This record gives sequence, C-alpha cells and structure tokens, in this order.
Amino acid sequence: MIYQIQVLVRSFDYLLIGALMTLKITAVSVLMGLVIGTFVGMGRLSKSRAFSWPASVYVEFLRGTPLLVQIFLIYYGLPSLGLNLKAFPAAVIALGINSGAYVAEIVRAGIQSVPKGQYEAARSLGMTHGQAMRYIILPQAFRNILPALGNEFIALLKDSSLVSVIGITELMKSGQIVISRTFASFSIYGGVALIYFGMTFTLSRIVRYVEKRLAIA
Amino acid sequence: MSEILKVEGLHKYFGKLHVLRGIDLTLEKGEVLVIIGPSGSGKSTLLRCINHLEDYQKGRIFFEGRLVNPKKDVNYLRTKIGMVFQHFNLFPHLKVIENLTLAPMKVLGVSKEEAEKKAQVLLERVGLLDKRDEYPIRLSGGQQQRVAIARALMMDPDIMLFDEPTSALDPELVYEVLEVMKDLASSGMTMIVVTHEMGFAKEVADRVMFMDSGVIVEQAPPDEFFANPKNERTKEFLKRILSF
Repeated sequence: MIYQIQVLVRSFDYLLIGALMTLKITAVSVLMGLVIGTFVGMGRLSKSRAFSWPASVYVEFLRGTPLLVQIFLIYYGLPSLGLNLKAFPAAVIALGINSGAYVAEIVRAGIQSVPKGQYEAARSLGMTHGQAMRYIILPQAFRNILPALGNEFIALLKDSSLVSVIGITELMKSGQIVISRTFASFSIYGGVALIYFGMTFTLSRIVRYVEKRLAIA
Repeated sequence: MSEILKVEGLHKYFGKLHVLRGIDLTLEKGEVLVIIGPSGSGKSTLLRCINHLEDYQKGRIFFEGRLVNPKKDVNYLRTKIGMVFQHFNLFPHLKVIENLTLAPMKVLGVSKEEAEKKAQVLLERVGLLDKRDEYPIRLSGGQQQRVAIARALMMDPDIMLFDEPTSALDPELVYEVLEVMKDLASSGMTMIVVTHEMGFAKEVADRVMFMDSGVIVEQAPPDEFFANPKNERTKEFLKRILSF
C-alpha cells in the first residue's frame, strides 16, 4: 500500500500533464460540438426538407453508434480512403462531431423553448430569419439550455478518455503508461479518477456561475 | 386622401378550417380603422395576413398601389407596417432601449447614436424615458405595451396594426395604452386596431368594421355604426357587448 501511494505521488506531475491534454482535447471538441450542434439543431427545425432531413440523419446516426467505433472509423478507417489524420485532429474531430449530435438536440429543444411571439415580433420589425435567430431566438435559447449544455460538456470531458486507444497521451493513457511500468493499478487509476472528478466538478461550478450571471434579475 | 392599403378577395385556411372567406378592404392614408367581432371571427388572422405573419391561399394585397409578392417583399413591407401584439412580445434579454434600437440598427443600418437619440424621443412620447435601462420584466403590462408601441414606431412605419393591444392588461392599465394610441391617431398615423374597447372605437375610429365567421359583415363611421347597425348579426353582437 505504501508503495502504491509512493508511485502515485511520484508520478502525479506526469498525470497532470496528461490531464492538460485532456483539457485541450475537450476544449477544442466542445467548441466544435457547439458550432456543429447550433447549425444542425437549427437544421432539424427547418421547414425545408433539404435541411431537416440531413440534420436528422446526422443526429440519429451519431447517437446510434458507439463513440469508440466512430473514433476508429476516423483514425483507422479514413486512411484507407487516402485521408490520413494525425491522432490529435482525429480525436478532436471524432469527439466534436459526436458531441455536435447531442448539442443539436439540446439546441433544438432550446429554440423550441422560446415563445413563438418572440420570432414573430422580430420578423414584424423587418428582421430576416437569420437576424431573428441570431439576435432574438438563440440568445434566449442558450440561456435556457445552459444547464443541459453543461452536462454535455462534462460527458464530453469524460468520454475523451476513449481517445487513449488511438495513442494520445491524455490523462487515461498517462495512467496506463505509469501502471505498465509500476503495476500500481489501484492508486494510479484511483488518482486518475480523482483528477477527472476535479475537472468535472470545477466545470460544473463554472457552468452554474455563468448561469447565475446570465439570469435576469 | 389617398389609398395606402388594399386587400382583395383574401382567403385563408388553417388546414380545412376556412378562417377568412373573401375579405375586401381598402385603407386611406391617415385613416383609423377599428375591427370588432366575436373571437374566432378572423380579425386577428386578417391583421396577421396583412403583415404576412400568416400566409394566405387566395387573394392579393396592395401596399401603396403595388402588389405585394409574399415571397419577395415581406421584409421590406414589415418595416413599413408596424405591429403591436396582444402579449407585447418584448425581447426579455434586452433592455428597453435595446428593444427599440435593435431593428433600426440591424435592418435599416441606422447608427447606434442615431437610433438611441430617436429611441429617447419615442420613450419620452410614451412616457417611459426613465425606464430606458430596465429589462422588460421589471415593467407593468401597460408599460410593456407602451414600449412595444415605441419599438414599432422606431421603424417609421406608414401603418400600425394593433392586435388586441389591451386584452392582456389589467383593467386599470388599459387606459394608459389607449391614451398613447389616441395620441398616435391624432398625429395622423394610419391604424388598424382589432379591439374590444368600444369606447376607443367610438372616440377615435374613422370607420368601424364588424367581422364574423371570416367575412366583413358591416362597416360604417362609428356614429352611424353604433346608432344604426343594419345587419342582424351586428345588432346581436353589439347588444351583447354593450349590455352591461
């Protein structure tokens, strides 16, 4: 037991470097997921089938297949089509488009949560559909869906551990490397879990803080 | 006086429901038209069709003599036709002043300084200059509706449409909104007002129109309309609404 703790203490810096990579991957994927999700979410609500149908297929397919399979498909599958991606871009793209599907559903619900009169008032002032969305609907929608988005970001941070399988040395992989040299499985996985928890807990506090800041008095 | 708006043979269906059954209507510049009628008679739908918030299946609408193309002209048309809603529909995430300045800045390309200057003037006019930095939720219903009127006026519309503007208000707040509308009418604004406020109709309207089941049953200047309604359905409606 003492040995286990010693290993954890000695390799803690190394694990934190992995955690930094986890944060980096999560941050980029979150941004990608937000952008994709916003457009796909709007697409799902479009009256035009040319938008709503592809958006539905996107959401259904990405939610209906395992993230691990999607990661393999992008990192190992695309090269056979002549498209070689390095591990980091492959990881971020896989996580980003996957998260985009979940964010799309959240955004869709958010847009639907804004009363119809808001859109009508905006249009009655001469705004285009795009202007009404950008200045009136989406700002209100995002305020309403902030808690749900927070959950999604936390899920994404945890799911990023899956990209350890394509050789990215993020937190999970860092832990595995230490264990392969020291066999201190319990303390290292325990330490890894604690670091994940520290990150998700902080993230959820940040989301709650932003939520409070944005609430109208 | 010159004609500013003309509606010709307008038909509107909600699925199988035939809500407007051939509406013909002309409006002169500066005229105040009050539309009354039982709920479900199609009066709100008519307003919404004029502003193209609803599509229509048959009929034509002319604005300043030009035929409106519902596919191309609506954004321009809506800058020329202001709309005030029953439930105000102020933008809750924007301050009062921002509610007023957003559309002129984004749609007409007016500068922020210019838009704010104009907003101050209009807020003053509706008596709410001191609320310029409040969020709508802090205002009473009557105040919100007055802000909504000012917001519509920011676009310098040629016509103002009012869709039951006082129906969602507590009785003691109705007066302040009607006062603003009266002031607007006396300044020469062309208005179509759907309302149940018969006092307002009598005092301010140039013409009162009674709608029932999607058709215009009867229309006349208010004195004549209220003193000598000709149609049985009009008489019945007036008797019910004026009896208490």
